[in-house]
Amino acid sequence: MKSRFSLSLLILILSLGLMLAGCGGGGGGDKKPAAENKAPIKIGFFAPVTGPAAADGDSVTKAAKLAVEKINKTGGINGRQVELVAYDDNLKPQEAVSIAQKLTTKDGVVAAVSGSYSHTTRAAAPIFENAKIPMIAAYALHPDITKGGDYVFRQSFVGTAQGKAGAFVAVNMLKAKTVAILNVDNDFGTTLADSFTKYFESKGGKVVSRDKFTMVEKEFNPVLTKIKQLKPDLIYMPTYSGTGAQIARQAKELNLGIQMLGTEGIDSTMEFLKVSGATADGIIITTNLNRDSKLKATQEFIKDYTAMAKHAPDMVAASTYDCFMVLAESMRKNGAEPEKIKDGIYKIKDFEAATGIIKGYNKLGEVTKNVQVQIVKNGAFTYYGEITDADIITPPDK
Amino acid sequence: MLVQQIINGIVVGSVYALTAMGATLVYGIMRILDISNAGAYAIGAYVAFFFLLQTGSPLVALVTGVVLTAAFGFLVQKFLYAPLMNKSPNVSLIAGIGLFIFLQDFLRLVAGPQARELNFGTLLPSVQFPSLQLTLYGTWFLILAATAILLLILWLLLNSSSIGLAWRATAQDLETAKAMGINTNRVVAFNFILGYGFAAVAGILVGILYNSVYPTMGDVPAYKMLAVIVLGGLGNPLGTVLAALVIGMAETLIGGYIGFFLPRDAIAFVVLILILLWRPQGLLGRRRSS
Repeated sequence: MKSRFSLSLLILILSLGLMLAGCGGGGGGDKKPAAENKAPIKIGFFAPVTGPAAADGDSVTKAAKLAVEKINKTGGINGRQVELVAYDDNLKPQEAVSIAQKLTTKDGVVAAVSGSYSHTTRAAAPIFENAKIPMIAAYALHPDITKGGDYVFRQSFVGTAQGKAGAFVAVNMLKAKTVAILNVDNDFGTTLADSFTKYFESKGGKVVSRDKFTMVEKEFNPVLTKIKQLKPDLIYMPTYSGTGAQIARQAKELNLGIQMLGTEGIDSTMEFLKVSGATADGIIITTNLNRDSKLKATQEFIKDYTAMAKHAPDMVAASTYDCFMVLAESMRKNGAEPEKIKDGIYKIKDFEAATGIIKGYNKLGEVTKNVQVQIVKNGAFTYYGEITDADIITPPDK
Repeated sequence: MLVQQIINGIVVGSVYALTAMGATLVYGIMRILDISNAGAYAIGAYVAFFFLLQTGSPLVALVTGVVLTAAFGFLVQKFLYAPLMNKSPNVSLIAGIGLFIFLQDFLRLVAGPQARELNFGTLLPSVQFPSLQLTLYGTWFLILAATAILLLILWLLLNSSSIGLAWRATAQDLETAKAMGINTNRVVAFNFILGYGFAAVAGILVGILYNSVYPTMGDVPAYKMLAVIVLGGLGNPLGTVLAALVIGMAETLIGGYIGFFLPRDAIAFVVLILILLWRPQGLLGRRRSS
C-alpha cells in the first residue's frame, strides 16, 4: 500500500511539473511578433549527415554553417542574429518527416532549408506547407516537391529543366545523334533520364540503350562493355559521385572513347574528382556552380568555403549556401515572419548568388537561372558553356 | 565479350569468397554469424589507406592493414564474443551487428564520410587482346593471385597442420574437442584472427579495385555474405568459395546480358533461393537429419 501511494504521489508531482513547464516557457507554437524581440531568428536545416549520402551531408552542413556565420558577421537580419537548427535525416524519409514536425512545432523556426535528397525532401515538404513555414530545397530536384503549395521553393534546377538542359548540351554543343543513358535508379536519376530523353528525341536524337543501377553499385564493366559495342556518340550519366567515379574509371580502363555527359550529381571535388583522378578529364556536366564565374558572390563563396573546409566546394554546398542568402535577403527586405519571408522570396529578382544570378522564382516556387556547363580539365571543373535559352531554363509553372 | 564477362565474374566471385571466408570460419566453429566481420573489411581498407599515406609503400600498407585488423579480431573475440558464449546465439549475433554499426560510424567520424582513394599505383599491367575484344586488368590478376594464394594457405592450414586438425575437431563438436584435450580457446582465437585477416585483405583489394575506401563500404558485404555463406553450406570453406563464384558469375553475366531488372544485389539472393529450393543444405552443406 505504501509503495503504491508513493508512486501515485510521484506521478502527481511529475504531472504538475510538466504542466507548469508547458505553461511557463513558450512552446514552439507561440508566435510572438518578431519585431518586439531581439531573439535570434531560427532557420531549420536537415541533411543526410549519416548514411549512404554522408559525403553530401557533410558538404552541405559546412555550407549552412558558413552561410549563417556570414549573415551574422554582416549585421545579421536588421540587428538580429540567425540561429541554425540542424538535424541529420540519415537519408530516410521517415526521419525527414519527424524532423520537419519538430522544426515546425517545438523548434519554432521561421523558415527551413533542405540539404537532403529528393525522396526525403518530398516526404518533408507537405509538413512545412501545412505549417506555413517556407522551405527551400537546396538541390533535391524531383518535380513533385514544389507542387505541394506556395511555401515550398527550390534553389537548384528542377529535374525536368536539368534533363532538358543536358539534352540541349548533347544536341547543340556536342552534336550527338545517338546516346546511351546510364542512370542511378531513384527519383534523381529517373527524372533526369526521362526529361533528357523527351527533349533529345524531340530533336531527332536516338537513345540506343538505357540502363539503371543502384546507388551503391561498383561494377560497371558488363554494362560499359555492352555500350561500347553499340558505339553511341554520347553517354548520359545522371548519377552521384560514388558511382560516377567508378563509371569514369572503368570507362577509361575499357578504352571506351565515348564522350560522357554528367549532371550536378557528380559535381564534387572530394568524392568524384579525387577518386576518378585523371580518368575524369573531358567529362562535361550540367550544374549550377561556375568555378570561373566573374561574379563576386561566387568567388567569395569559393574562397570562404575552401578556407573553412580545406577543399573546394561542390554544387550541393553552393546551392545550400544560396538558400540561406536568399532567405536572408527576403528577411532583410520584408521581415522575419514566415508569411513575410515567403512573400519576400517570390519578390526576389536578379539576385546575385554563388550559383549565378537568380532571376526569380516562379509561382510554383521554381528558380530561374542560367544552367552552367562545366568540363573537367586537369582534375578541376572549368567553364565550358552556359545555357541562357529561356525555353530551356524556364521551369514549368504547374 | 563472353570471356571478358566470365573472367570478370570470377574476379567478383573471388572477392566475395575472401569477404565471406572470415564469417564462414567463425560460423564453422561457433555457429554464430559474425556480422562484425564486414566492419573488419572496412577497417582493413582504412588502415591500409592510412599507412599508405604515411609511408607511400603499398607493401607496408597491405601488411599493416592485415596484421592490425587481425589483431583487432583477436580482441573482438576475447572481449566481445567470449563472454557471451554461454548465452543464446542471438545475443552474440546482436552484439556483432552492434559492433559493425559502431565501426562504420567510428570510421565516418574519424576519417570523414567522403570516399578516399586507395592508390597502390599500377602493380600489374593490363593485357589487351583487341581481336578477342578482351581486356584483362592488372588489378584482376592481383585479385585472382591473392585469392588463390590465400585459399591455398587456408587449405594447407586446415588440412595439413595440427592447428587445422584442432580446428576441424572443434568445428565438429566443441565440447568433445575440449574433452579430448584440445585448447579450444586457442583455436577460436586463431579462427577470429584468420577471419578478420581475410576480411581485411578483401577490403583492401576492393579498395584498390575501385580506388575508393569509404565508411559504409561494409554495408553490402554485411548482408551479401549471408547469401554466400548460406549457399555454401554454412561453415564449409570450400562451399563458400563455390557459392561466391556462382554468385559472382550470376551477377556479372545477368548484368551484362539481361541488364539489371532487379537491383544487382538482389540477384545474389534470388540465386540463393533457387538453389536452396533444389538443395536445402546449400551447395556443400551437411544434410541435417533432425
